[in-house]
Amino acid sequence: MRKTHRLAAAAAAVSLSIVIAACGNSGGKINTGKAVHGTPINGGTVTVAEVGVSPNLIFPLDPSTNSNGYNVNLTEGMWPFLVYIGDGASSAVNPQESLYSSLTYSQNDSVITIVLKPWRWSDGVPITSRDFTFVYNLLKANYNNWLGYTPGLFPVDVKSVLTPNAHTVVLDLKRSYNPQFYTDDQLSLIPLLPQHAWDRTSQNGKVGNYDETSSGAKAVYNFLQKVGTKMSGFATNPLWQVVDGPWKLAAFNSSGYYAWVPNKNYSGPDKPRLTKVEWTPFTDDTAEMNTLRSGTSLDLAGVPANDLKQIPQLEAEGYSVFQVPTPGMAQILPNLWPTGANAAAGPLLRQLYIRQALEYLINRSQLVSKVFGGYADPGNGPVPVSYGKQWDSPLEKAGGPYPYSPAKADALLKAHGWKVVPNGISTCTSPGTGAANCGAGIPAGDQLQFQLLYGSGTAAFDQQNAAIQSSEDAGGIHITLKAEPFDTLVSTTGTCNQQSHPASACNWGLQQFGYIPYTSDPSGAGNFNTDAIGNYGGYASPQMDRLINATEYGSSSAAFFAYEDYAAQQLPWLWIPLQSGVFVYKKNLAGITPTDPFQATLNPESWYYTKPAS
Amino acid sequence: MTWYLIRRVGQAAAVVLGVLILTFILIHNEPGSTARAILGLKATPARVALFDHLYGLDKPIYQQFVIYVKNVVHGNLGTSYQLQQPVSTLIAERLPRDAVLLGISTLLALVVGVPMGIYQALRHNMFVDDVLSGTWFTLYSAPDFMEALLLIALVCVQFHWLQPNFPGGITSVGGILADWRALILPVVVLAINTVAGFSQYARSSAIQQLAADYIRVVRAKGVPERLVVLRHLLRNSLLPVVTILGLSLPDIVGGAIIAEAIFNFPGMGLLFWQAALSHDFPILLGTTLIVGVAAVVGNLLADVAYGVLDPRIRYART
Repeated sequence: MRKTHRLAAAAAAVSLSIVIAACGNSGGKINTGKAVHGTPINGGTVTVAEVGVSPNLIFPLDPSTNSNGYNVNLTEGMWPFLVYIGDGASSAVNPQESLYSSLTYSQNDSVITIVLKPWRWSDGVPITSRDFTFVYNLLKANYNNWLGYTPGLFPVDVKSVLTPNAHTVVLDLKRSYNPQFYTDDQLSLIPLLPQHAWDRTSQNGKVGNYDETSSGAKAVYNFLQKVGTKMSGFATNPLWQVVDGPWKLAAFNSSGYYAWVPNKNYSGPDKPRLTKVEWTPFTDDTAEMNTLRSGTSLDLAGVPANDLKQIPQLEAEGYSVFQVPTPGMAQILPNLWPTGANAAAGPLLRQLYIRQALEYLINRSQLVSKVFGGYADPGNGPVPVSYGKQWDSPLEKAGGPYPYSPAKADALLKAHGWKVVPNGISTCTSPGTGAANCGAGIPAGDQLQFQLLYGSGTAAFDQQNAAIQSSEDAGGIHITLKAEPFDTLVSTTGTCNQQSHPASACNWGLQQFGYIPYTSDPSGAGNFNTDAIGNYGGYASPQMDRLINATEYGSSSAAFFAYEDYAAQQLPWLWIPLQSGVFVYKKNLAGITPTDPFQATLNPESWYYTKPAS
Repeated sequence: MTWYLIRRVGQAAAVVLGVLILTFILIHNEPGSTARAILGLKATPARVALFDHLYGLDKPIYQQFVIYVKNVVHGNLGTSYQLQQPVSTLIAERLPRDAVLLGISTLLALVVGVPMGIYQALRHNMFVDDVLSGTWFTLYSAPDFMEALLLIALVCVQFHWLQPNFPGGITSVGGILADWRALILPVVVLAINTVAGFSQYARSSAIQQLAADYIRVVRAKGVPERLVVLRHLLRNSLLPVVTILGLSLPDIVGGAIIAEAIFNFPGMGLLFWQAALSHDFPILLGTTLIVGVAAVVGNLLADVAYGVLDPRIRYART
């Protein structure tokens, strides 16, 4: 079971090389699970399989040197975020489950008034605005050592925080933001933490207001992070028993096993009906599948990408199947910088028409159906079609700007002076920078060939990239494939742009990591801005920068579609299908579906067993 | 004997240090950035710098090595970059589990393999010898993952007789032994590959011994065949088996990656493998150190056992 949360970027990308994706209109099956008939009953234990998941920190604010994305799986049920993302099957804000009762933007969207619900901590103490300022003070003093920090954003962008009463917080920001962006992307990263229990600098020290000075906030933050790594105390340290979410931790061991029991004082709407939820770790997919096939006690488990064909057998064992769109985007990264070994390919990839030809030659709907068994988003553009209707532009819904078309690829290349050799290597016959020429830096006789590096170890990726290689080859573009361990890819790939493109980290031409996780606001910020850290191939466009800025700082609700369509057309990355997470659950379990990409399988407060209808 | 032991311990320490130096140099020359491998794709330069500083990776390699050795001497094997836990804790959790799993499987292989080898030697070049040799070689050459998956398909999936994995909540040795049914398949799979080695070494050694004069003499004296085998043949055929047993110590300590992965048994093998994939140097160094120590100790024990089993060797070396 994997979660791809906004804080989970790195780890989720790792897990994605194993399980992935999203569903869509173009061949992807939409399946929200089978209806459960029967009477709901209280009690029971649900055992959930988790492959390769091993949280290592219980303190909910991860340091910037700990990118274990699975920590949020452990903590979110105990310390939920101020803004709860996920409403039914939609990746939308869910006000009912969130900790605020109102969020109001004013003064040109530069002031946010947050009114907290009158909920209580598990020890009976009311949740107040002081708990918000506690978190704010900790982060303000330690933002450089917080994994969730994006340069320039929360908490650095806050001018002042006022608390006019016990349940109201007024955030005065240094600039105006698009409310949709700030709510979905920033406020959804902030949990409330119990100041009355955690504002201390040692285990047995007195609780005070240490967070109100910078040095005190640093001391508290350091203490909580240090004690937060002691696994032996995760389930026993009294600090971690003060929660405001629906669950408390009852057991934890270092292999990744943990168990939740209900927080009996939970104030929220979905009071847990189960007695216990056990998250049981598996070393790898094979071990998990063997267990599922052996009729054992697993109640909910992911189906590994390589085992989708075993779904009928699992259904025969008494499981129902559902899929969850992966919150992210699969892509092939083109490196536009002509450095080192990419000296020849860089100028080619800088040409939009060549990227367009490459995209036209990717048969995405075939990949969805043949490689991913229908369990994938078609990859029509930078936002998964299944992500939620508020995010999908009409262009993406219609199949994106570049549906599979070898004829259009052929025409594009010929129009730019290429001698196209199907099943061979096309060559440039018309060098130059005119509209009918090959383009800057491309000499006569230059060949259309690239190397595609990708993460090894997943059969689905091998099949996908072999299919891409084959269809590109048929269109005259030769691609050689090279698989490397994911961590090797990551460690040897830098962000290659005008400022920095060392040959040691920028030798690659095309690269496929698996997928890039998205935040709940799937804008291109951080990926396609000229200076973004995630802009690995060095794509640069002032127009793209303006459009992305409008999604973050503008007030127009149309800004997102404008960005989305432009990015889909400009191909800063090549779009490919994104595999969904596929899961099975026992047929007498209910409340699991529908689920959205962010809460997928992590909201057991909604689950319950049923008695068969008589 | 004492001087011999002192000399061997000195040699062992030099070997372990050499292994450590070599491993340190090799893993620090892996291509790419460790910080990026750990922190992921979107690690900013500031986060990379913080990580490097936190773990001393911004220091020259010789300084890093000196600091590491000093820490090791004080019992500190460092902190895992990925798991954020002390390496010594991670090893201490996994080593006993592997020792149980691989210890039992080695014992089983020994108990089955040695008598089988002696039996085959007594029926040398007979049909039953050929059948048994063929069987052991077939099982030995079959990949253990294949044997594991076949057994699981048959025993667990088809008939639901046994569980195919260790429950994730069990980590202690006591817990593993209490859930002994989960041990059956991994022990059998690991023993299948080992038993061939033990039986064939015992067989060939016993064949040599059977041709030796002392066997002929005791038989000529009318000693019953059962006593010939148990009192004379068995002990003298054990020398090569002792060698294998000594050399299997690092295997026991190092874990069994494939069996651990298939049977959901988080042990030393998986710890090492996952660390190798993720540039988790402290774990790589820590496990290499432990396996290195086990290798020299295993050799040492084998040599000492030689002396115990064969007085001629003991006298020659003292």
